[in-house]
Amino acid sequence: MAGSPKTKKINLERKQRIWARIKRDRIAYYFIAPTALAMFFLHLSPIVQGIYMSFLNLNQNTLQQYLLAPFVGLDNFSAVLIDPTSPVRIGLFEAVRNTIIYTVIVTFGTLAIGMFVALMLNRNFFGRSLVRTLFLFPWIVPTYVTGLLWGIMWLKEGGLVNVLLVDWLHLMPHKISWLTGPNTIWAIIIPTIWRYWPLSMLMLLAGLQTIPEELYEAADIDGAGPWKKFWMITWPMLRPVWFILILFGIIANTYSFNIVIMMFGFGAGFPGEWGDLMMTNIFRNSFQLWNFGTGAAASVILLIVMICIVNVWFKYFKRAEEMS
Amino acid sequence: MLAFLAITLLPIGWMLFSSVKNSTDIAIGRIGLSQNLEGKAEVHWDNYVDMWKNVNFGLYLKNSLIICGCTMVIAMFLSTLAAYSLSRFKFPGSDLFSNSILATQMIPAIMYLIPLYIMFVQFTLITGIPIKGSYWGMILIYAAFFTPFAIWILRGFFAAIPKELEEAARIDGCSAWQVFSLIALPLAVPGIIATGIYIFLNAWDELMFAWVLTNADTMTIPVGIRLFVGNYQNRFDLMMAAAVIATLPVVIIFFMLQKYIVKGLTAGAVKG
Repeated sequence: MAGSPKTKKINLERKQRIWARIKRDRIAYYFIAPTALAMFFLHLSPIVQGIYMSFLNLNQNTLQQYLLAPFVGLDNFSAVLIDPTSPVRIGLFEAVRNTIIYTVIVTFGTLAIGMFVALMLNRNFFGRSLVRTLFLFPWIVPTYVTGLLWGIMWLKEGGLVNVLLVDWLHLMPHKISWLTGPNTIWAIIIPTIWRYWPLSMLMLLAGLQTIPEELYEAADIDGAGPWKKFWMITWPMLRPVWFILILFGIIANTYSFNIVIMMFGFGAGFPGEWGDLMMTNIFRNSFQLWNFGTGAAASVILLIVMICIVNVWFKYFKRAEEMS
Repeated sequence: MLAFLAITLLPIGWMLFSSVKNSTDIAIGRIGLSQNLEGKAEVHWDNYVDMWKNVNFGLYLKNSLIICGCTMVIAMFLSTLAAYSLSRFKFPGSDLFSNSILATQMIPAIMYLIPLYIMFVQFTLITGIPIKGSYWGMILIYAAFFTPFAIWILRGFFAAIPKELEEAARIDGCSAWQVFSLIALPLAVPGIIATGIYIFLNAWDELMFAWVLTNADTMTIPVGIRLFVGNYQNRFDLMMAAAVIATLPVVIIFFMLQKYIVKGLTAGAVKG
């Protein structure tokens, strides 16, 4: 029973043991203390405030009142989710749709191209390390430069893409306008894949080099073809790598900002209904229209969705691990 | 594969090439260089000089170097200590700490930015100390934001150092601090370099926070370039020159320390 002297004694002993451990490992606490402090002030406290702000009517008039701005309950959330007349809703549906298309295609596109090149590089040939280094080049170009550069390359008149496709290769009858209309989604997807696939390639290549050669030799004896060998050996053995790549890919691409914002009007314009993403949408609402309350509400909703996606992905991964 | 390599590098080559063309040639899509009156190809190296004068690039470069450099040093100091602690000790609270480090990676940056912006404005109103638009405000924020990821990478490096070494040192009478500073730290130097460079590259690439939280005097390169391209919409030659200069420092750093970075990034991937 809870109150008996015996359990009390056990509890006391346990407490003492924990204290002894804390005392013995006190250096561990000294070492994390500065980081914990920084994280408390610059991660936890903004997050808590951000969640609270999503319930406030916070705009340029009430900004001075800080957390004492008028409390409006769930109004911000309804403005984002339900109310069809609220100004926040303009373009929101398009931004969500684009973000989903963009995230899925970019995440799996970078993985597929990275896998393809990693398989090609996973052989010994002359100049291998030089080729690998050159392939890493796009990944070093800053994302804002990527956006700027491709913004010029996509131009209808004089952009490199149209010049190559129409004037040189004659693949298309006339020049395409890439930065307006539904083409924009490709105009943001392709540069992002171009920028990020080398990282996938690097990780997958490192993973490939840990797969023991004997597995493939055994498969050769069984008479398995290259396609079968890939799906039965390579892909499952690389599971920890692509698990992380897809996880971080989904997170990073959903929160993608730099490339898109720099590409349209070179940092000043509106990306259009096929180029706007969640981040550019919320940023515009918060820092150009000064609707901080609804901006905070939209980011809280986005965070909740992200937590769900990450959880589903972890569950899927655990199940796949158990099955194999 | 060579064809694929060519396609991959094409945009970068084009960026370099465009930075020495004249701006009409870029706008009308002429691939070659214009010829001058004597029939020689014009190579506009003066684009770089023009750009440097028009954009105040020197200031942005200085700001970026100060902010990213200090961020790197502070973030590495914090994360080395924390990563060592997490990889060596299992203490009450260690799970909570390492889980919250992973959790920070899921939170959208804008969710920090809105409250931090308002906090900064309030702080200055109350104390009179300017923090929005100051170097140390930016450095503090960047350091705090890149530390969790740095801890995550560095942990793998510390975990790879054989424990026996440290235990032997303990038996010989070293204090916990000596074990860390004399044994673990020197062995982890390659990992610390790799992570530090990675932090620097990330900070160099950050636009959203810098956009909102810097002013005309502390603007970093991405904000400066954004401002400039907004004002000179049709000077493609200058834009490309600015893009080349912005890319150059990170390319130099990367190729000098390539070995460390590749090892550092892939060490975590293989272990899963």
